[in-house]
Amino acid sequence: MNRRKFLKTAGAAGTLTFSGMTSMLTEMHAFSQVSNLSKIEARFYKKHPDREIECTLCPRFCKLGDKERGYCGVRENIGGIYYTLVYGKACSRHIDPIEKKPLFHFLPSSNALSLATAGCNVNCKFCQNWEISQVRPEQIRHFDFPPESVVHMAETNNCPVIAYTYSEPVIFYEYMFDTSIMARKKNIKNAVITGGHINPEPLKELTKVVDAIKVDLKAFSQKFYTQYVRGELQPVLDAIKIIAESDAWLEIVYLVIPTLNDSPADIRKLSRWLLNEVGPDVPIHFSRFHPMYLMKNLPPTPVSTLVEAYNTAKEEGLRYVYIGNVPGHKAENTYCPECRNTIIERVQYYIRKIEIREGKCQFCGNPIPGVWA
Amino acid sequence: MSTVVIVKGKNIISPGDEINGKTLSRMYTQGFFALTGQKNLEDCFRSFLLMKDKIGIKINTIGGKSISTRPDVALCLANFLAENQERNGEVIIWDRTNRELREAGYDLNWNKGGIRIFGTDTQGVGHNRNLHSHLNIGSLFSSIQSDLVSTSISLAILKDHGLAGVTAGMKNYFGSVHNPNKYHDTNCDPYVAEVFDTTPIKQKHRLTILDGLVIQYHRGPSYHSRWAEKHGVLIFSFDPVAADTIGWQIIEKLRSNKGLPSLKEENREPKYLKTAERMGLGSANFDNISIKEVEV
Repeated sequence: MNRRKFLKTAGAAGTLTFSGMTSMLTEMHAFSQVSNLSKIEARFYKKHPDREIECTLCPRFCKLGDKERGYCGVRENIGGIYYTLVYGKACSRHIDPIEKKPLFHFLPSSNALSLATAGCNVNCKFCQNWEISQVRPEQIRHFDFPPESVVHMAETNNCPVIAYTYSEPVIFYEYMFDTSIMARKKNIKNAVITGGHINPEPLKELTKVVDAIKVDLKAFSQKFYTQYVRGELQPVLDAIKIIAESDAWLEIVYLVIPTLNDSPADIRKLSRWLLNEVGPDVPIHFSRFHPMYLMKNLPPTPVSTLVEAYNTAKEEGLRYVYIGNVPGHKAENTYCPECRNTIIERVQYYIRKIEIREGKCQFCGNPIPGVWA
Repeated sequence: MSTVVIVKGKNIISPGDEINGKTLSRMYTQGFFALTGQKNLEDCFRSFLLMKDKIGIKINTIGGKSISTRPDVALCLANFLAENQERNGEVIIWDRTNRELREAGYDLNWNKGGIRIFGTDTQGVGHNRNLHSHLNIGSLFSSIQSDLVSTSISLAILKDHGLAGVTAGMKNYFGSVHNPNKYHDTNCDPYVAEVFDTTPIKQKHRLTILDGLVIQYHRGPSYHSRWAEKHGVLIFSFDPVAADTIGWQIIEKLRSNKGLPSLKEENREPKYLKTAERMGLGSANFDNISIKEVEV
C-alpha cells in the first residue's frame, strides 16, 4: 500500500474517531460482524471448574461463566477457554504527531501510526472516545489489521513509532504485544497510551517489548475513581511505579476536571507522590477538560486552574510540567531545569525548535531525560 | 398490593424435553385470567394493552438452547398477543443478536409477515443514536426497544447469576443496552434497577413473565445440567420487582432443597430488588405481594 492509498484509508477510518463523532454514531448502526471477530486465546486468565474462568489481565479479575464477556466487552469465555475477540481487529487508525499522545520526551516531532480496537476496562464519565471505548467490537465498524500489516504500514509511511491508543490498549493486550515484538525487529518503537488499569504480571511483560507508556492518571483519590472512572486508583499507582522501574519511558497525563479533581491539595499530594515514588524527571501534563460523554454539565477547565496545578507541581519539585489542550500556552514548551532556556518549543502538536543534542541541553549541557533518537 | 401468579404446568416438559403445547397454552390462559381477573383473553389483553400497540417481547437467549427463553414459550405468547392486536403481526420477539437467537432455536423472521423475530444486530436496526444518561447509566438502547415497539413484555428465563444473584425479568433488559458488561459490578446493584428506570424501558414495560420451565438454580447464568431443575412454572406479574422477588424465592427454595447455601450466604443476594423498590419500581416486600398459584 502506498502512502496516498494509506492516507485515504486512514482518512476513512478517521471518521470513526476524533474528526467525526457524528459520523461515528451513524456507523454504530447495526453491523452484524460477530462472525468476523477474532478467536485468539487470551494470555492472562485462570481456568476454574465447570467451564468458568477468571481474567487476570486487569484488576477487575472478572469471573465469567460460559458465553459471558468481561467488563471490557472484548474478551469472551467460550466453553471454558477465554478468548480475545479483537486481535487484529482495529476500529481506528491514524498517523498522529507523537505530541498528540501526548509524549513530549519521546522522539519529538515523530509520526506515530496510531491504532485502537473497541473496548475499555473502565468507564470514565468524561471519556473523549466513548464511541469506540464503550462499545463491543461487533457494534462498530472494524477492519482486519493484523500485526504484520501494522508494522508494514508504519514502515512504509515514515512512522518510527506505533502507538496503541484512543480506547484502552490493555484490553487488546495480545494484539499490542505481538505487534510490538514485530515492530522492534524493524526498528520501530512502541508507545502505549493507557489508563494503567492493569495487573503487575502482564504489565511487566509488556514493558519488555514497548518503549514508552503514557499513563492517564484520572485523579488522586479513590472516591473519584469509584464515582467517575469505575476503577481503582491503587493498581494505577502500582503500574506507574512498575513502569518507572522498567526500561520503558514514562509520562503522566492528569485531566483536570473543574470541581472534581482540581483541588490544590490533591494536586500537591499527587506531585509529592510522584516525586517520592518516581522521581523529579517524570513529565506530567495537566490537560484541559472539555465537556463530553456523560459529563456535559461542567465547563471546560479554566486556564487559571491549570496554571495553579502547574505551579503546584513545580513547587513540589517536578521538573517537567506541562499544560495540555491549551494551544500556544508557554507551558507547552520544555525548559531546561538548569539554565531555564527553552529547549523544545511547541505549538499544540507541532515543534518549532529543538535545542537538545545527544540528550543534553544545547545551552548548558544539562542531560534532559527522555528518548531523543 | 402486587399480584404474582405462579402457574404450574403438570408434565409440561416430557422426559424427551419436549414442551406440551396444549398445556403451555393453558398455562398462559390461566395465568392471564388469574392476573387480570378477566374471563376471556381479549378482555385480559385489553386491560393492559392497546389494540394499536406494537408489542416487543424481550427474551433472554444468552444461555443457548439449554437455558434460554424457549421458542415454544415465546411463540405461544406472541400468537396469543398477535391474535388480539389490531394489525395481526405487530409483535416482535427479540434479543441482542441473531446468533444467540438462532443458537436458542429461533427461526429468524425479519419481513416474511406474521410474528417477527430478530436481534438488535440485524442490518439496519442497531442501537438508537441518543445516549441515555440516567443516574449511573449511560447507554444506547436497541432501536427495537426505543423505536420499533410501543409496549414491552419481559419474557425472561429465570436463572441463578454468579454476580447479580438472580437474573429474571428486570435484568433481562440489560440485553436492550449496548454496554451491559459495564453494569455487573457490585452485584449489578443499582444497575439493574437503574436500567429499568430509564425512559425506553419504564415507559413501555407492561408485563413480566418468567420462564421457569427449567430453572438454573446454581452456577448460573451458564447452563449446568446438574444444577438445572425441570420446575415447570410460568410466573406472571405487572409488578417487575415483585415478579423477580418471587423468582428469587423459588431459586432459594430449590437451592435449599439441594443443600446449597442461600444467595445471601454466598454474598450475592439480588440487592437490586430492594434498590428497585426504593426507586418506586415495584415491591420487593413479601407483605406487599399477593401470590396466586394455579396448576394446569
